Amino acid sequence: MSFKVRLRLAVGGRTIALDLASQARLTALVGPSGAGKTSVLNAIAGLARPREGRIAVGGTVLFDSAAGVDLAPERRRAGYVFQDLRLFPHLRVAQNLAYGERIAQPERRWAGREDLIALLGIGHLLRRWPATLSGGEARRVAIGRALLAAPDFLLLDEPTASLDPGRVEALLALVERIRDELAIPILLVSHDRAEVERLAGHVAHLP
Amino acid sequence: MLTGAEWAVIGLSLKVSLVAVLATLPVAYGLAWLLARRRFPGRLLLDAAVHLPLVLPPVVTGWLLLLLFGRAGPVGGWLEAQWGVGLVFRWTGAALAAAVMALPLMVRAMRLSIEAVDRRLVEAARVLGASPARAFATITLPLSAPGIAAGAVLGFARSLGEFGATITFASNIEGETRTLPLAIYTGLQLPGAEGAVARLAVIAILLSLGALLASEWLVRRSMGQRAHVL
Amino acid sequence: MSSPRLQRLCTAVATALLGASIALLAACTGGGDARAEGPVVLAAASLQEALSEVADAWQQGGEARPRLSFAASSALARQVEGGAPADLYFSADREWMDRLERAGLLRQGTRADLLTGELVLVARPGEQLQGIAALASGRVAVAEPASVPAGRYARAALERLDLWRTVEPRLVPTENVRAALALVERGEVPLAIVYATDDRASDAVGAVYRFPPESHPPIRYPVAVLAASDHPRAEAFRAFLTTPQAQRIFAAHGFGIAR
Repeated sequence: MSFKVRLRLAVGGRTIALDLASQARLTALVGPSGAGKTSVLNAIAGLARPREGRIAVGGTVLFDSAAGVDLAPERRRAGYVFQDLRLFPHLRVAQNLAYGERIAQPERRWAGREDLIALLGIGHLLRRWPATLSGGEARRVAIGRALLAAPDFLLLDEPTASLDPGRVEALLALVERIRDELAIPILLVSHDRAEVERLAGHVAHLP
Repeated sequence: MLTGAEWAVIGLSLKVSLVAVLATLPVAYGLAWLLARRRFPGRLLLDAAVHLPLVLPPVVTGWLLLLLFGRAGPVGGWLEAQWGVGLVFRWTGAALAAAVMALPLMVRAMRLSIEAVDRRLVEAARVLGASPARAFATITLPLSAPGIAAGAVLGFARSLGEFGATITFASNIEGETRTLPLAIYTGLQLPGAEGAVARLAVIAILLSLGALLASEWLVRRSMGQRAHVL
Repeated sequence: MSSPRLQRLCTAVATALLGASIALLAACTGGGDARAEGPVVLAAASLQEALSEVADAWQQGGEARPRLSFAASSALARQVEGGAPADLYFSADREWMDRLERAGLLRQGTRADLLTGELVLVARPGEQLQGIAALASGRVAVAEPASVPAGRYARAALERLDLWRTVEPRLVPTENVRAALALVERGEVPLAIVYATDDRASDAVGAVYRFPPESHPPIRYPVAVLAASDHPRAEAFRAFLTTPQAQRIFAAHGFGIAR
């Protein structure tokens, strides 16, 4: 079972409820704007605490209000590509990439670091500052940073938002490769139907 | 141009101010972080207490220091009895007075820069595996560094100019506590000391101006380097 | 409240504040008529109680009370040189008076030595120190030895007694002799060198040693009317200071009368 998430979460002034169970490699979470999709990702990553519920990913329980389980974000091993990217402005691309990697246990680290960088096409950006990157470049670096931290699962928040069509295609192909070649569950938030149809093995709706 | 005695005064002032700022840096940053990032009962009171030396008449601050750290005071008496350390009449006392007066300015500058650090960046670091302490050290601290520098420079300038609390608490002892402002004041008590007063006053103006410009530049730099997500 | 009304209200308040400030300023400056007030006397800090009492006696005679300003004689001399609008100068040593005289700032014929004094070493009661041996250790508060009369007398005495070199590193110089006294009263410093009259004025300290008069230049308090004075009662008050009534008051506070 890749994602088994049942929660009630306070967002803004409302409470949203989600019950999601998926075996697929890549699960999509869809819903209208403002439905709270990002908040759900935050809750799974440990950045927001649900009122009550249970969150388990890949068999590991990350949160269980009944049992009093609430792992701190740094212990959840989530690979979270934020919609606003959040690259560290005071570190070069190489250091951004290495941030999570350095913290991870050596035996957990990706053996194919060079391959991953090549796959993402960011090898020529390593010495650059995040502020100088284009939208697409920054997004690929963000994905690289999340992956190099050796996560147990991936959270992607609107990865193709505000990218021009050429880039979108490249990114989707990339996500497909990640889905197919790396054995980790992926939860994708998107409001783009075509994208969802192409990538997702299971679709959950947030009302 | 400047006599040996005048150079000695400048040297003492620089020493006192430098020590005051360096010793206060961690305290100021800690308070700034507490006030910027933490909610706790009594937070408003702490905020007010930190800002008190800014608005209190400096002599009152000096008098309060005397009550606490004077030979007859609870802390001062203990220091004297246990360690033989006296603060009154010593340059360390002058540094303490300067530090207390500089603290509010330093806390303000640092707090602003800590608040300017986008929490979302800290969240990102946490998700990547950083403990709160590590996230602080690798994200918040470096990104608020210009604020630290600006606060230090501002605190240094304030320390250089500190008069009321110093003369009340540490007295006006040549070579020990007679910093630049006190030396100018002493000169003003004396007929015929116009030359010395003028020279020292010019130095004081130049030092203050330099510190202000440096502080402004650092603040602009920290604003320019937006510590925000892209 | 609508915007134009708010604006009118703000304008009204601002005008009222401005008007009030101007009225206040006018009232303050308007009240500077010297004739209605007594002469301004710049006097050494050690004269505080005695001279205040003499001023009271002068006032009881139907005169306007003199306005007294007490500070170190050196600081006061500077103020006179700087053109301070004062009428009398009452110093704790001759040197500062000499300086003003050389500068032509005194009115001819009004200068005279009025009082004499003594120098003592004081400490709080209960401190185990007695006699000159008390100076062997501990900090000693004195008025600034380079400029303030009490400090200069103290330095002279210490030098004459061959103690200057050992005591000087432990000195705490203060702005005037009363500040030195205050340090001992507060317990910040164990000893101070002050005038015998200061010792008498304070309940909290006691003299542990009297400096022999030969150890320092004679302590003399000269007084003079300032050349720039235009107060009609300045010379009269100056004369009052030599009357038996005034001299009784000075003597009661411990001052000697200069002959």
